[in-house]
Amino acid sequence: MRPENYQAVNHPPSNEYELNFGPNHPGIEGNYAFKVKLEGDIVVAARADAGYLHRGFEKLMEGRLWMQNLAIVPRICVPDPVPMEVCYSMGVEAIGGLEVPARAQWLRVLQLELSRIAAHLFFFGGHAATVGLYTTMFWGIADRDLILDLFEEMTGGRVYHIYNIPGGVRRDLPPGFLKRLNALLDYLESRLSDYDDLFFTNRVLVHRARGVGAMDQKQALEWGVTGPNLRACGLPFDVRRDEPYLVYDQLDFEIPTYAAGDDLSRTLVRRAELEQSVRILRQVAERLPSVEGPIRAPVPNPLAWNLPEGESYTRIESSKGELAYYILSTGGAKPYRVHVRGPSQMHAVQVLEKLAIGARLEDVAQIVFSLDSCPPEVDR
Amino acid sequence: MSDVAYKSKGSVLNPLKAFSFMGRKAVTLPLDEPRDGAEYYRGFHVNDWEKCIGCRSCQKICDNQAITMVKIPSLPDDPVKGVRNERPAIDYGRCCWCGLCVDVCPTGSLALSREYIHTCRGDELDSYFILPDPNGMHDKHYGFGWAKSPDSDLVDLNRRPMPEMAPQKRLQSFDEMVHGYSGQEALLEASRCVQCGLCLESCPTHMDAPNYIRSIWEGNLEQAVRDIYQSNPFSSICGRVCTHRCETACSIGRRGTPVAIRWLKRFALDHVDHETVKRIAAEGKGGYLSGHKVAIIGAGPAGLTTAFDLAKKGHEVVVYEAMEKPGGMTRYGIPEYRLPYARLDEDVDVITSLGVKIRYNTRIGKDVTLQQLEQDYDAVLIAIGMQLGRSTRVPGSDNPHVRKAIDLLRMITRGETFPVPRRAAVIGGGNVAMDTARSVARLQMKKYGKVDITVTALEDFDHFLADPVEVEEAREEGIEVLDARGPVECVIREDGTLECLRTVKVISIFDEQGRFAPKYDDSDEQIHPADMVIEAIGQMADLSFLGEALTERLEWNRGRLKVDENGRTSEPWLWATGDVVHGPDVVHAVADGHRTANSIDTCLCGMEKVTQ
Amino acid sequence: MSESKAISHRLDDVLKEIEGVRYTRQSKTRIRVDLDADALPTLLELLQGRAGYVHLSAITCVDWIDADQFELIYHVWSYEDKALVSAHIRISRDPGRYVSVYDIYTPAAFFERDIHEMFGVYFEGAPDMEKFILTEWDGPPPMRKEFDTERYVNETFAWQEYNPEWLREISAQGGGIAVKPSEGAL
Repeated sequence: MRPENYQAVNHPPSNEYELNFGPNHPGIEGNYAFKVKLEGDIVVAARADAGYLHRGFEKLMEGRLWMQNLAIVPRICVPDPVPMEVCYSMGVEAIGGLEVPARAQWLRVLQLELSRIAAHLFFFGGHAATVGLYTTMFWGIADRDLILDLFEEMTGGRVYHIYNIPGGVRRDLPPGFLKRLNALLDYLESRLSDYDDLFFTNRVLVHRARGVGAMDQKQALEWGVTGPNLRACGLPFDVRRDEPYLVYDQLDFEIPTYAAGDDLSRTLVRRAELEQSVRILRQVAERLPSVEGPIRAPVPNPLAWNLPEGESYTRIESSKGELAYYILSTGGAKPYRVHVRGPSQMHAVQVLEKLAIGARLEDVAQIVFSLDSCPPEVDR
Repeated sequence: MSDVAYKSKGSVLNPLKAFSFMGRKAVTLPLDEPRDGAEYYRGFHVNDWEKCIGCRSCQKICDNQAITMVKIPSLPDDPVKGVRNERPAIDYGRCCWCGLCVDVCPTGSLALSREYIHTCRGDELDSYFILPDPNGMHDKHYGFGWAKSPDSDLVDLNRRPMPEMAPQKRLQSFDEMVHGYSGQEALLEASRCVQCGLCLESCPTHMDAPNYIRSIWEGNLEQAVRDIYQSNPFSSICGRVCTHRCETACSIGRRGTPVAIRWLKRFALDHVDHETVKRIAAEGKGGYLSGHKVAIIGAGPAGLTTAFDLAKKGHEVVVYEAMEKPGGMTRYGIPEYRLPYARLDEDVDVITSLGVKIRYNTRIGKDVTLQQLEQDYDAVLIAIGMQLGRSTRVPGSDNPHVRKAIDLLRMITRGETFPVPRRAAVIGGGNVAMDTARSVARLQMKKYGKVDITVTALEDFDHFLADPVEVEEAREEGIEVLDARGPVECVIREDGTLECLRTVKVISIFDEQGRFAPKYDDSDEQIHPADMVIEAIGQMADLSFLGEALTERLEWNRGRLKVDENGRTSEPWLWATGDVVHGPDVVHAVADGHRTANSIDTCLCGMEKVTQ
Repeated sequence: MSESKAISHRLDDVLKEIEGVRYTRQSKTRIRVDLDADALPTLLELLQGRAGYVHLSAITCVDWIDADQFELIYHVWSYEDKALVSAHIRISRDPGRYVSVYDIYTPAAFFERDIHEMFGVYFEGAPDMEKFILTEWDGPPPMRKEFDTERYVNETFAWQEYNPEWLREISAQGGGIAVKPSEGAL
C-alpha cells in the first residue's frame, strides 16, 4: 500500500487504535501487511493485506510453453521452492501420461526432504526471532546455507533450482554427493542438541509460546488448516501418507503430532519433522546407489510439444502444508489454466486473522511465524 | 507429548557454552576472492562462436524473451553449410539463468559458466546487455558450469528409423525400396525440428520446410501440401530423390542425424489424395487467359516447373516432349526402385490439370522446326536436359560392349531389352553410376541369380560425388565400389567381345589451375573382368536442332548456351534452363524453372508481342 | 477392504441424490463430478455432512471465453476416504454471479475473494468481496482471457534501452540487431 493511498480509519475517540505490521517488518514473514486494531495491547480485530508479491504467475503461465513454465514455478514459494517444481511436473506428467523413471523419483524425494529441512530451519529462525532469541535465527539461516550448498552442487542453483522437468530431473548427482549429504545429516543431527539447549527447551520459548494462538481440531478442520499446523492439533494427516506419491510408500517414517494446537506445538511438530526428514534422507542415500536407470522419461523437443487434452489436480506435502496444482490442458503447447493452491492461502489470511483476535500485540508476530505463512504463495 | 520438558531453572555457567563455539568453523566467508561456483553452477553465459550457427533456437526457448540475435558481418555466413553470421545477445535484466537455452542448443555451443558476480552503477546499465563469447563476461573464463550433457539435452538427436526393404529382397525387383513414414512416425520426426530455418536458406528453391514440417506436426497435411506447392511442384519426386541440401544444413545434424526433411515432404504428398493435391496446386490460378502462348521444349522438371508457373499466371503453355512419357531424367534416368513411375505421373498430372498441354513423341528439329515454334509462340524455352552420355575415349571404348549409362537407364525405363552382362564394370562415381550399377545388379540377379559389378571412380572416398547413402546401399546389394581408379583401356578380345577393364591408381584429378588433368600411377594396375563396361562420367546436350543460322546468332559460353541468371539467351524470344545450361540436379532445375517462368512472364506482360 | 467399500458407498449414495449429476472416477483418488450450478450447494452440503468430505482444498475458476462461460471447480477432500471430489459447474460469463459457499466451507472466503478480483465473478453472501491482492488496480479483472498482459506492459511501461560498446562497434561494421526477442519468440 503506497503511503498516498492509505486511508486512515476514523475511530471514535476511544482506547482503540490501529497498527500496521507493514510490508517491511521483521515481524512479518516476507512482504505482507497485517493491520491490527488494538484495545490497549489486546487485538480486537485483524485484517490481512496481501499483494506486495503479486507477479501474476498464473496468467504468465498461460502464455508460456509447458517446459518454459519451470522457470516461473519455483518462484511461487521462495523458502521452499522444490515442492512447487515437483507438483507442477507431476501435474503435467499426469496429463501427458509420462512415466517418471525410478531413479528420478528417488532424486525428487531427496530434494523434497532437503528442502523441507531447509524450510524448517528457516522457520525456527523466524519463530525464535519473534520471541527474542536471535541467536537461533542466525543458526537456522547458517545451517540452511549448508543445505543450499548441497543444492548448488546438485542443481546448479541455490534457491531456484529449476531442476525438475516433466518426465524427471535434469541432472544426475555429481560424484561424492551422497557422502557429503550423509556428512551434512550427521552435522544436523548433532546440531539438534544445540538447538534444544538454546531454543526448544528454553523457558522463554515455552512460556511465551504455550497457549498462544491455540486452535482446536474442529476449528482447524473447519478453517482448512493443513500440514504441520494441523498435526499440531493432534490430527495425523499428511499427504505423503494419505495419497503417497513418488516413492514415499517405500520409505519408513513417522507422522509426529502434538495435541495442544498452539504456537509451541507447531514449533515442536516441525522439530520432530526435521528428525523424520533426516531419517528419510538417510534411507534415500542408502537406496540411491542401487537404483539404476535414466533420470528422465523421453519428452519431445520443447518447442514442438503438445500435451493431450486433460486436467489434473496434484496434491503434495510441502513444508507448510497441502500444496496443490490444478492444471488444465486443451491440447495445446501452453497451459489453458494453472491454479496454484498454496497452504498459506488459508494460514496467512483467515486463520491468522482469527487467531490474532485476543492475542497480545507482542504475540502477533509470533503467531504469524508459527503458522509458517509464506506471502509469495498467497500472492502468486 | 502433552507437556514439554523444559528447564525451569537455568545455571549461571550456561553462558560459558558460548566459548565452545570459538573453535568451530565460521559459516560466513571472506569477501576478498569469491568462492567457486559448483560443478553444474548456472552462472553467466559463454558461447563458442566457432560452433554456434545462429540457428536462433535459444531465442525461441527463452521464456523471458531475453535473447536478441545480433548480426556480425565479420563472421562466416554460408547458407549451403547451414551457418548464419548471427550470434545471441542476452539481456541480464530479463534472464533467469534457467539453462533451457543451453539444453535446447543443437550444436552445444552455448553454456553457462561458473561466473556469477557482476556489479555496476546505475549509469552503467548497458553492461547488463551482453554478447556471450568464449571468454566470459569479464574476459575471464571461470570454467564451465551448466553445459550440454546427454542427461539434460532437450534436442532429439536420433532420427525415427525409416522402414526399408532388405538388400536381398531389393535385388529381386524394381519395387520402391523406401517404405515411407507412418502417421505416428512422421509426427515424431516432425517434432524434432527446432524451426531454425537454415534448411529454407540452403534449399536452391527455398522450400519453406519449417512451415510444412510444422503443418505436418499439427496434423494439417493439406496446409503442408499448400506450403510445399508454393515452391516446388515436383515434390513427390524431390521427396524421394532430392540431394537434400536442407538436411546438410539442418542444425540438428550438427551433432545428431538431421531431421528427415525429404521423407517428411514425401509423407505429406503421399497422404493427401490426388484430387485434393490438384485443387490445392491450382489455388491462385487466375480465371483469365493472358492471350500469350509459350512453347517449352522438354517435359523434365525445369520445363514443367516453368509450365506450372506460367499456366498459373494465365498463359497458354504447350510442351514438346521427344519421348513418349514426361519426366525427362527423373523418369528415364532415375530407376524405379528410387522413384516409382506412378508417383512421377501424379506430379505431372497436377501440372497438366492446370491446362498445360504436352505433345509426346514430338522431336524439335524432326517433327517440328524451331523456326515454326519461333513463329507460332510468343516465347520458347529450351529445357531439354542432357541426353547424351560422354565417353572416356580410352582405347576400346568404341566397342559395342562399352555402353553409356544414360542409354542403358533409358532402355531399362522403356522396358527395352539388352544383353545383360554376367559381369560388368562401371566407370564413374556419381549418382548416375550408382543408379546404373544397382539397376544392372537387379537384372543380373534376375537372369543369373548373382550380382557381379565393379564400380570404379576417379575420386577418392573423401570426395566421392555420389550420395554416401547410395554407395552404402550399392554395397549392401553386392556391388563392389572402388575409389581413386582411372580407366586406361577396355581390353577387347579377338572375336570382338569384351574381356576386362584396366584401371590404374589416381594420384590427382585437377591441376593447380583447377582444370581437369588426371595424373595416374601406372604401376598400380588392376584388372576388372567384365562382359560390359558402362561409362557414367557425365552427359552433354544435343542442341543440333537449333540449326546453323541460329547457332551462329546465339552467344555461347564454352560450349554451353550463354544465358543470364534467369535463363534468357541473347535472342529475346528464346530462353534455356535446367540441366542444359547448368544443372546439376532436380531441385536446381525446379529453382531454375521458377526464375525462368518469372522472367518469361515479366517479358510477356511488358510487351504485346515478343516475336517479330 | 469392506470398510472402504462402505465408505465409498456413502459418496455414491450422496451423488445419487442430486439430479443431473454426471460423475467419472478418474483414478483411485480422483472423482470428477459435473452438475448444474443450482445443484452445487446441495451437493457440497451433502458431501460435507454425510460423506465426510470436510476439507475444501480449492475453488478454481476457468475462463471459457469462446463458450461465454466461467467454469467453477470445487475440490473437496475427505480424510477418511482419502479421495478428492472435483465438482465442476458452469455459469454464464456475463453477468458472472454465483452464490457463496462460505456457510458450508469456511476456506471458500479466500478463493471467492480471489476469483472475484481476478475474474470478476461476484459471490453473493460472501463475507468479504473487497480487493485483496490488487488493491491499487483499476483495470479489468486480469485473469480473464481478453486481458493481454504483454500488450498492457508494452503500453504502460518503458523497456530498458541498451546501447553497449560492443553493439556500437558491430553496428559500425554494418551489423546490428537482426532479430528482436519479441519477433523470435513462438
